Formats: sequence, C-alpha cells, structure tokens
Amino acid sequence: MTRLSPGALRILALLLVLVLVAAFFATQIDNYLNARLFNRISSSVAIVALIATGQTLVILTRNIDLSLGSVVGFVAYATGAIVSAAPEIHPVLLALAALAIGAGFGLLNGLLVAYAGIPSIITTLAAMAIYRSALVEFSGAQSITTEDLPQWLVDFPNTQLFTLAGVQFRAAFVAAVVIVILVHLALLRLRPARALYAVGSNPEAAEMAGIDARRTVLAAFVAAGALAGLAGLFFLARFGNITVVAGLGFELKSIAAAVLGGVSINGGSGSVIGALIGAVLVDLIENSLVRWELVSEFWREAVLGFLILSAVSADALLMRRLTRLRIRREKAAPAPTPKEATS
Amino acid sequence: MAVPVLALRDVSKSFGATQALSGMTLELFPGEVHAVVGENGAGKSTMIKIMTGVHEPTSGTVEVDGQPVTLSGPRGARTRGISAIYQEPMVFPDLDVAENIFISATDLGLVQRKGLLREKASQLIARIGMGLDPDRVASGLTLAEQQAVEIARALSQDVRVLIMDEPTASLSAHEAGELRRIAKGLAAEGVAVVYISHRLEEIFDIAHRVTVIRDGRHISTRPIAEVTPDGMIAEMVGREVGNYFRKDESHATPEVLLSVRGLSQEDVYEGVSFDIHRGEVLCMAGLIGARRTDVALSLFGIHPATGGTIHWKGQEVRIASPREAMALGLAYVSEDRRKLGLAMPLSIRSNVTLATLGKVLTRWGLLREGRERAVTQGYRERLNIRMADADTPVGKLSGGNQQKVMLAKWLETNPALLIFDEPTRGIDVGAKAEVHDLIRQFVRAGGAALVISSDLPEVLALGDRILVMREGRQMGIVPHEDASQEAIMRLATGQERAAA
Amino acid sequence: MTRALGPWETFLLAVLVLVYAANAWLSPEFLTLQNQVNLFQLSIEKIIIALVMAFVIINAEIDLSVGSMMGLSACAFAAMVGEAGLPAALACLLCLGIGLAGGVLNGWFVARMGLPSLVVTLSTLIGFRGVARILLEDRSIGRFPDWFNALGQRGLIGPVPLGLLSFVLLFVLLYVVLERGGFGRKTYVIGVSREVAEFAGLNTARHKILIFMASGLVAAYAGLLFAARVGAVRGDVGQGFELDIITMVLLGGVSIFGGSGTLTGVGLAILIVLSLRNGMSLMNVTGHIQTGVVGLLLIASVLVPRLGARLAGRVPA
Repeated sequence: MTRLSPGALRILALLLVLVLVAAFFATQIDNYLNARLFNRISSSVAIVALIATGQTLVILTRNIDLSLGSVVGFVAYATGAIVSAAPEIHPVLLALAALAIGAGFGLLNGLLVAYAGIPSIITTLAAMAIYRSALVEFSGAQSITTEDLPQWLVDFPNTQLFTLAGVQFRAAFVAAVVIVILVHLALLRLRPARALYAVGSNPEAAEMAGIDARRTVLAAFVAAGALAGLAGLFFLARFGNITVVAGLGFELKSIAAAVLGGVSINGGSGSVIGALIGAVLVDLIENSLVRWELVSEFWREAVLGFLILSAVSADALLMRRLTRLRIRREKAAPAPTPKEATS
Repeated sequence: MAVPVLALRDVSKSFGATQALSGMTLELFPGEVHAVVGENGAGKSTMIKIMTGVHEPTSGTVEVDGQPVTLSGPRGARTRGISAIYQEPMVFPDLDVAENIFISATDLGLVQRKGLLREKASQLIARIGMGLDPDRVASGLTLAEQQAVEIARALSQDVRVLIMDEPTASLSAHEAGELRRIAKGLAAEGVAVVYISHRLEEIFDIAHRVTVIRDGRHISTRPIAEVTPDGMIAEMVGREVGNYFRKDESHATPEVLLSVRGLSQEDVYEGVSFDIHRGEVLCMAGLIGARRTDVALSLFGIHPATGGTIHWKGQEVRIASPREAMALGLAYVSEDRRKLGLAMPLSIRSNVTLATLGKVLTRWGLLREGRERAVTQGYRERLNIRMADADTPVGKLSGGNQQKVMLAKWLETNPALLIFDEPTRGIDVGAKAEVHDLIRQFVRAGGAALVISSDLPEVLALGDRILVMREGRQMGIVPHEDASQEAIMRLATGQERAAA
Repeated sequence: MTRALGPWETFLLAVLVLVYAANAWLSPEFLTLQNQVNLFQLSIEKIIIALVMAFVIINAEIDLSVGSMMGLSACAFAAMVGEAGLPAALACLLCLGIGLAGGVLNGWFVARMGLPSLVVTLSTLIGFRGVARILLEDRSIGRFPDWFNALGQRGLIGPVPLGLLSFVLLFVLLYVVLERGGFGRKTYVIGVSREVAEFAGLNTARHKILIFMASGLVAAYAGLLFAARVGAVRGDVGQGFELDIITMVLLGGVSIFGGSGTLTGVGLAILIVLSLRNGMSLMNVTGHIQTGVVGLLLIASVLVPRLGARLAGRVPA
C-alpha cells in the first residue's frame, strides 16, 4: 500500500497551491520573497490560525460557529481591562483567563446547539450579535490603548525566539503553531477527540455505536471558544488598541481558512494542520494583494469569497468522483435507494 | 433449561395507529444461533430496535438474565452486552479500522495508544478469522470488511447478544459464507446470535432454532431439525386469506403499453425484460435487496437505466426525469409516503393537486381555490377518503387515507400506467381491500398497473402475471394460473429459477 | 395556510400591541406620525429584503449574501453615477441586473451543484462585499441627482416615501404570490421536501434559482433605496444586515427547516423588531446593544416554540 490517504493528499495539494501563489506573486512584485514577507504573515497567522483551529473543531461535528469573531473581540477587551487594572498579573494567569472567558461563550453556544437543538447557524448568528453587544456594554464604549498595557505583553508578539537565515520566528507565531500542533496531536491521539470525526461523519451511527453525540458537539464548541479566547489575548498583544469592533470578520476568515484547508463543510473530515495552511494561504494572498500594483488592496475580500466557493465546489466534485470510482471498484451497493434504505 | 440471556415477554409496540408488534415473546440462550424469519414488514426491524434500546415497548417487558430492564438507548443496551449490526454497516470513513472498532470503548484511557489499539484490534480480527489490516482507513473497505469491523466493535465490549439484521443482503456468496462462519464461531464461544435473513439456505446452514413472525406476532419457535423450507415458507406467508383477496378475471388486452428489454442499471440490477398490456396488472415480487424499486425508479426517470431499451406504445423512449415520465403517461406511487410521496404538513388539497398544479391555476398563476376544492371533493367521493375537510394537513390522516390521497394525486395526472410500490404497506385490512378495488377499477377502465409488493396474498390477488426478482436479477415471470405463494417464494429465495 | 391568524401570529400580535403600548408609555414621541414613518424609513432596506428572505427560508434554503448584495448595488450605483457619470436611471437598471446576476450565481451553486446554501451564500457574502470594496475602496461617494435623493428622502404620497410604498406594495404582491399563487404553493412543497416535489415532476432546481434571483434583485433594489435615502455610499453599506433580516423571518414563525410560515407572521415580526429598535433608540440605547437584543430575540424565536411543544408533551420530530 503506497497510496496516500486522502487527507495527506489534500495537505500536499494545498502546499502546492501555496507555493504556486507565492511563485506567482514573486514574478509580479519586486523584492517579494524575503524575510519581511514571512514576518508580516506570521504575525497575522498567529491569530487567525488559532481561530481557524477552533472553527475546524466545530465544523468537524457538522456545525459552524459565526460568533468566534465577537469572542475574540470580547476577550481582547476583557483581558486588556484585567491587565490594565492589575498590571502585576502573571502571564499564565492572564492566558488562563482568556481561555476561560472564551470557553464560557463556547459553552453557551454548545448548550444551545447540542441540548436545546437550535441549529448552529442560528445560535451563533445571534451569539455573534449578543457577544458583540456584551462587549459594548462591558466596555462602556471605551477603548483600550497600548499605554494601558504592561510592556511584556506589548513585546510578546515581536519577541524573536530564534532567527533562521534572516527569518525571525516570533513568540506569538511560534506559540500559535505549537498550539495548532498540540490540537492536531490531540485530534489524532486523544480518544474523546476521535469522536468528533465519528459524530460529524455519521451522527446516527455514532449514537448507535454508543458515543454521546451531544456531549461531543458541546465539547467542540467549548474548545473553539477557548481557542478564540486565546486568539483574543494575542490580538490584544499585537494591536494594543482595542475598540468595540475588535475581531470583526474573523468568523468568516476562520471559516475560509478551514474550508481552504480541506475541512469538509459536511463534517467528519479534515485536519487542523490543513486549517493552519489555509490560514497561511489566506494571509499570504491578502498581504500580497496589498503589495500588488495591478490591483488595489481592496481586492482581498472578493478574492477570498471566490476562493472559498471554488474550494468547496472542487471538493464536492472531487468527492463525487471518488465515491463513484469506489462504487465501481467495489461493485457494492450504490447510493441507497429509498426502499432498501428504509426497509 | 438455563435462564435466557435476553428475553422479550409479551412485548407490544405501536406507532400512532399502526401496531408494529403485538404480544411478541422471544427467548435467547447463550451459545445459540437463533434465526428470525418473516416477510418484509412482519415486525423484525421493530423487534430489533426494542432489543437494542432504540424503541421502548408500548407494553410488555424486556429481560436480561431473567431480570426486567429498561434499555435506555443503544448505549444502555451495549453496556448490557447487546449489540446489533445492520445490512448497511455503520463505520466512520475517516477513521482507521482499529479506531472504528474501539470508538466507544471506555476502558482504553484518554490517550490513544496506537500500538495497543492495533494489537487489540488484531486480536479481535483474528478471533473472527478475518485478514484485515487494523491501520487501513475505513473509507476504503468493502461492505463485507465494514461488516467485520462492526462485528469486531461489538466484540470489543464483551458481547453477550449479537443481533445480525440481514447482514448478508449486499454480500457476495463467498463473503456471506465467511460471515456465517464468524457467527457460528461466536455462538460456539457462548454468544447468543440473532440471525435475520431472507436467504433460507443460510438459515439451514447456521441456525439452531428458528422463530417465524408474521404481522407483528410470534407464530412459532422450533429447533432447526423440526423445520422444513416449505413448512417455514407456509408459516411466513400463511395468513387468513379473506374474501377481499378474491382475484377477478384478467382484463388484459393484446395492446402492449410498455415493453422493456434487458433493462439494467450498472451495479444495481440487470437483464429485466417484460411487457405490460393495457388492462393488465403485472406484479413484481421479491425480498429485500431484490432491487424492484430501482427498476421502478428507472422507469420513472429518477435513476435512469444505463442499459436496455424501453418502448412505450411501440415507440422507443428514453426517460431521464419524472417530468418526461409523466409526459408519457407514467405515474409512480411511492412506498415511502413520508419522504417521497406526500408533503405531510401541507393540506390535503395541496397534495392532491401537487403533480397537476397547472390545471388549477389561472392565467396569472393564481390558485383557483374553488376548482381545487372541487377536484379534492371529487376524489374524496370516488376514493372514499375519510377526512374532516380539504384543509387538514395530510399528515393527520390515517395511513390508508394518506395512501388514497397519494393515489388521487397520481390519478389526477390521468396516467396510462400506474406504478405502485407497496401500495398497502402499513395500512389496515379494510383500506387494503379498497386500494385493491381501486387498482382493479383503474385497469378495467383501460389503464395498466405495475404493482411492487412483498405481500404475497396481495400479489396473488392482483397480478395477472407475477415477475419475481432476486438480488437485481429477474428470476422469472409466473402467470397467475401457475402461481402460488410457495412457488413465488422459491423463486425469490433463489431455490429455483424459472425459464424466462 | 389560509387561516387569517394562526396561534403564533396571534401571539405575535399580542407582543406587538405590548411593545407599542410600552413604547407609547415610555416616550410621548413614539406614536407621532413622523416617528411612525421614521420607524419604517430607518430600516426600510432590511424589511423589504426580509419579505423575500421569507421565500428563501420557506424553500428550506438561506441567503446570507443579501447585506453584501445590497452594499454591492449601492456601491456600483455610486461608482457609475458619482464617478463614471452615467445617467442615474440607467445605473439603477444596471444595478438591478447585478442583483439578478448575483442571485443566479447563488442559485446555480445551490440548486445545480448541490452545495449547501449556507456555504455558498457565506462565500458570496464575502465576495459581493469584496467587489463593493474594489469599486469604492475607502471612499464615500454622494452627490447623486436631486430627483434620486428626493425619492429616498421625501414623501411620495403624502408623508409616505418611495421605500415604504415599495414595502407595502411588495408585501401585498408577495402575500398573494405566497398564499394564493402556484409559485407560493411550490415554494412550500419544495421546502417541505425537495424529493416529494421532484417525484411529483416539479422543476425544483429552476424554482430555487428563481427564488435566489428574486432575493438578489430585491437586495439590489434595497441598495438603491439606501443610496437615495442617505445620499452617500460607502463600502460597508448593508454590513451585518442579515442578522436583523433572518431574525424577522424566523420570529415571524417561518421554520428554519423550511416548509412552513406565513407572510402575515413575518409582517408582524417586522413591526415588532422595528418598534423595539425604535423604542430603544428613543431611550438612547446604542446600536450595538440593539443588535444584541435582536440576537436574543432570534434565539428566543426558535427556542420558545420548541419549549412550548415539549411542555405540551410533544417532542419535535
């Protein structure tokens, strides 16, 4: 068996796309492929990758979370408020606070989706607005500025851990990549995490096999909230200035990263490494468009929308073809017909 | 004898007005393979769902080791050692074999130890004697391998009762033999195996005892040595044949309406050939997996055939969509009222005019409500639909009346050929007789009918000729004069094949 | 479908009366004619789109791209008139064409490619907004012809401006189409079960595409109304509008799973959301908080009937 698994194949295809995109822009933009490009993208990816990882966990269970952007904003503000009120707070404690607040929001979402049975699109569309207005209420429309923050926090994203051939590996980026890898390992190795795949690919079968599907969905939302909370802290550290619109749009960007990264919107399939590469791709394109002279930076959203649609369509076509091939190969039963499936 | 590991005592189950099981009693002992046989719709599925905790009985008790228990859902049943595997295996495509087996195991800790998992999976796979790599991803497995994974999953949790529901329906003969060998091996280890199958030869190969059920009732339980194929078939089909099952004389005319030659759909069915004459009722008999519905879906343009020819009134036609089929004069009364036949929350009148909406619209596309009510009223009288008024949601009617509404919808399209798929499934005896009369009236008035039915008395009562299918193949066409329940069952179970 | 008021509509009517009474009691301005016209005028784009969104959701789909389409249409109009100097009337027609084209795009991917409408319209939500931003970048463009601005701002018939008039006419038209027309009947049937409709010979793909086209067209029209009403356009016009719009539809008793709901209910829900927002504005509650309240309302509108059903002993299927 030398055949690659479909998941690994997807990641390779994605890396290829990444290289092609970079190669394309290298021909268009002078002095493009240098360390600065990496540095710029890596600071931004540090935040998006965390959110996309959380989004992936939710999408794996055949749900979606539109509230993550608001969670990022709220936690960025809340942790900012905490740290400006108590500048002596230990960084680990602050990170735990960020995780906890985010997880709290995730818990609310998860309870409404898994136990009250409200579709995730409705729950999180509403939650997006509710958490945002909670932020407004909580902040009293005041902003947090860099001056309010202790120096170690402001320095954190730009701290160079090590440099490789002029490429700086900054703390926030390294931390985010480490977390993504940890989540990836957890998804691979933690037994409860494997249930995410089971529930997402076939909820009924999961229930029959003795998995508690509701608890699994709840756990996915809680983890997504926690990761978005951590992203909120990173957001605070990177930008310093936090207003009531902080984090707006991250919900869409995270979905884009996940879907581009090969996470199936129908649940049950995909990896957070894919989502990480998806996040890099999204940021690479955004950053490059800004510097491309032929188009204005305002092209990025249009390109993003087009990319998601093509990724989903390509995936659907590919899956359809694969399924057909497999059916032919096995000579097994085709798509269940109404009668045979219900008898 | 010992205490049964699992027993149903006088268990009944009803869904709304439908009585699926009444007074069912069944005892399972360790180490036995207990075959349960019955026609489609006899209540086997409901019985399994009660044994696995999916449904709770309306009355009666479930006992484990002689103690009455409440199995709260599949998870509860599993912890008591009761597992089931189905015709369509339930594996998770993105996980590998070992993971699929141990997905819900609770004693393996938090962290997945790949080596341990692989080792334990290999042991289980060896125990059922399959050569299967535990590292393979499930999406690439054949159906037989998926089934083996499910059995191994059941074994991973100290299984005491293993229910196998038509496990071999989609397998090749060799694969089915392997599966039976596994089942026998498990029984030898002391597991109680419930084996449900339509393949009689399998039952005689594997079972120690056989229980026949019919119409949701227990008919008999016997050691296999006391059972003969013919006796078993007689018990499966042998209901009281009331006078409403009288077959009147054939109204078939020489005019061939539909002629099908060598029709096939890749990997589904092949070599189906028949004629239907105006005024004729052609019945299609067969068991689960016979692929009769698939033939009907091809004729109606849902899943177009990939081979063979269709002639309609002497012209060769291709039917690629329901619209094209309807334009020719075909109608398909689906078996699955809920999913394919009726818009349950909507009113009776909107369902009656569903396929012929154009007839009740004004030039401006507005509904002529009076016209619609009149059409509905007409069918209410003609088909004797019992309903409060035409605005009642169709879902609130009884099964028989729903069936009539569906029939009204298709009669309104003024079809020449009506395809009925299990026209009387799940409706009461009185309504059955009415539906039969309506089918006869329809052909007497110059139409033709193709009736798919698993109800043998119905097939015998209605069919001028009976086409029997088995696993995607046409086994033969029996004229009414030569037909008997036993003869049809022998064809349907593959015990013999008639000359085409 | 033909009953005047179902139980949910009656409940909505009671809530509406309550909200009106509370508003009138809290603020003397609330019941003035000017405020009542304002109440509609300030959200006129949303409520017009909500009427078509009812069709989309009854059809068991969703269109998240309406806010972006509205922005795209407004920006395209501003670019054509304010920058390229096209006649406003021609620009209006072109913008409506853009709306139709966007609807075809959404509909094609949903109905023919078989992708979930949630994903398709989420991508076009980003994509349409992106095109709007390409057109205007970070500029704000105004100075439209006077007649155009007047249409958005002044009363056309007495104090009733074009927007409110369009809403009323569209409501009547769509009410007839949905509750009395063959098109509406098909919308319900396909929403209940696409299979049942397909087996009955209906062309479900065409129907879905038509509904997405209507959605795009009306969103584009709403964008034009916005341009006329405000007199200036930026790239973020209509951003986040989908929340209010979907809330109105679901609060109106339309099931998120499709197949049920009435335009009467949606009309009442529109009035409730508008008067709630208006009342909060009169009491100086900020827009973000108002949006949060709408979010709570959205969850409640799905949760309450479900809890009610459970209390009545029926677990929803």
